[in-house]
Amino acid sequence: MIKFEKKNYLYKIYSFLPIIVLFVSVLNEFDFNYLNLDYFSFNFPFILIFYFALKEYNKFDYLLVFIAGLINDTVVGLPLGISSFSYILVCIFASYLRNITIRPHLIKDWFYFLFVISLINSINYSVLFLFFSYELDIMFYIINNLFTFLFYVPSSYFLNYYLKAIND
Amino acid sequence: MASSRDDFIIAIRSAFLKKTTKQKFSLLTLVFLSIFIIFLSSFNFKIVNNLRSILNEVVFRSSFIVSIPENFIASSYKGILEYSNFYSEFNINKKELENLKAKEISNEIIISENNELKELIEDYRFSSNKILAKVIVDHDSPFLKTIIINKGSLDKVKIGTNIYDKSYLVGRVIEVNFRTSRVLLLSDLNSSVPISITPGNVQAIIIGNGDNTAEIKYIKDNLIDNIKDQGIAYTSGTGSIYKSGIPVGRINNIDNRFLVNFYSDFQQLKYVFAEIEEQETDTETIIEDNTDDYSSSSTEKIKLDILDEELEILRETNEKFLEENQTLKSQMNNSNIKILKLQKTLEEQNNLIKQNSIDQKELSFLRMNLIYSSKCQKSGFKKGFKVGTQEYKNCILNKGKKAND
Repeated sequence: MIKFEKKNYLYKIYSFLPIIVLFVSVLNEFDFNYLNLDYFSFNFPFILIFYFALKEYNKFDYLLVFIAGLINDTVVGLPLGISSFSYILVCIFASYLRNITIRPHLIKDWFYFLFVISLINSINYSVLFLFFSYELDIMFYIINNLFTFLFYVPSSYFLNYYLKAIND
Repeated sequence: MASSRDDFIIAIRSAFLKKTTKQKFSLLTLVFLSIFIIFLSSFNFKIVNNLRSILNEVVFRSSFIVSIPENFIASSYKGILEYSNFYSEFNINKKELENLKAKEISNEIIISENNELKELIEDYRFSSNKILAKVIVDHDSPFLKTIIINKGSLDKVKIGTNIYDKSYLVGRVIEVNFRTSRVLLLSDLNSSVPISITPGNVQAIIIGNGDNTAEIKYIKDNLIDNIKDQGIAYTSGTGSIYKSGIPVGRINNIDNRFLVNFYSDFQQLKYVFAEIEEQETDTETIIEDNTDDYSSSSTEKIKLDILDEELEILRETNEKFLEENQTLKSQMNNSNIKILKLQKTLEEQNNLIKQNSIDQKELSFLRMNLIYSSKCQKSGFKKGFKVGTQEYKNCILNKGKKAND
């Protein structure tokens, strides 16, 4: 297991790794698009935000999540604020789940995550279609939703290891 | 019941308002802030646009830097694939090059012919400056098919500027910053392009389907049969969104759905050309009227002026033709009169000739009559013919020899 000396620079970078990865993923749209797999896409920021908001990780600042949303809008070309709104909604739902849960369970979290991302993607689609007259393929949203949901469990295993290393 | 509702309210309130020591803002504040930003971005305020431009500049550059490792992996992966297919591709390319060389010659002929014809009709031409731009962000997002290039308003790129990959159309600029611009690719769902399809010269509108192809959406029902598989689609220039005559792709008929396979591979774009248009005209009047502003209204005015001139030329030509027609008519009448006169003269001369020949015959008969009348004339002692009869005449003409002799 990796062990860090606290107040070490490496430790600081490691503790801010979720936020760094979040910023990298929104700047880079980390989604393996270059593999040219038809319809394959997933929303990695949703997984990251939901997981760390659920775990109430103190280095995961909501303001930075909000800024990450603005950057995502700029990169993708969506109206400013749409992604920030989505990310903050993910935080709210995760925070609510954390407050009502006494004994956390991965499967329950997983299906709750499906409900959250479906709702948020629906809101996203509706706002873009109704208020901004964007032509969007709903199939892409559904598939993106599905893959994001499927990737949550393997991602949470990795992220559990990360948190364990921090706590140790 | 009441306690469960209280728990729900407490959980909601806690989710929205509770801040840990590290959090600077509550989630409720951030929700309102994001809604406020969405509202602001929906209106076209100058300050918001400028702020957005600055943010875009910073984010696009950062995105380019952050994307370097992923791009390196992607390009390495593609490089390995290309290397493994190198020899087979070389052979295919060799054949294709030969075909293209042959086609290029015919293209050059067509281009020169086209220029000559344009000069002939005194059309106005566009000379364009294509500037090379680097694609700095291309995430191939499944939602919006856009790319970011490193040329902006400082390089005279404007909203609507056409973007090319070699000579093929790629898309148009939809957002301009100082040094960067966003290009909406033709494959995007929001992209519609008026095209002409050859053979058949069918006009249609294609709309991207988000999958590196586009579909023909608007076409007259009776013209759908005129479209042939593997037909060539090029921009028609209708609506002045895209310049006319730019190759777009080939038509592919799949189950009665007409798809356009773009010539350019949008996933492989590294460098593109942005076309900055400069308009030049041939006629002096147009040059006088033409200013640096190439807005659509001035273009329309120029077109109208040209049409007016053409109309004037046609009117003048028509008048000249009418005049010539009148002259020719009068000339024809004179000629007819002359012909009639000449015919009359000819007839008179013919009559004279006839009369002359009759007179000649008569004279010769009279001369012979004087000599041979004694031989042919009937008298009391001699056989002959009565004067004035045909037999007498024959006898004279036979020099006094009778038919019985």
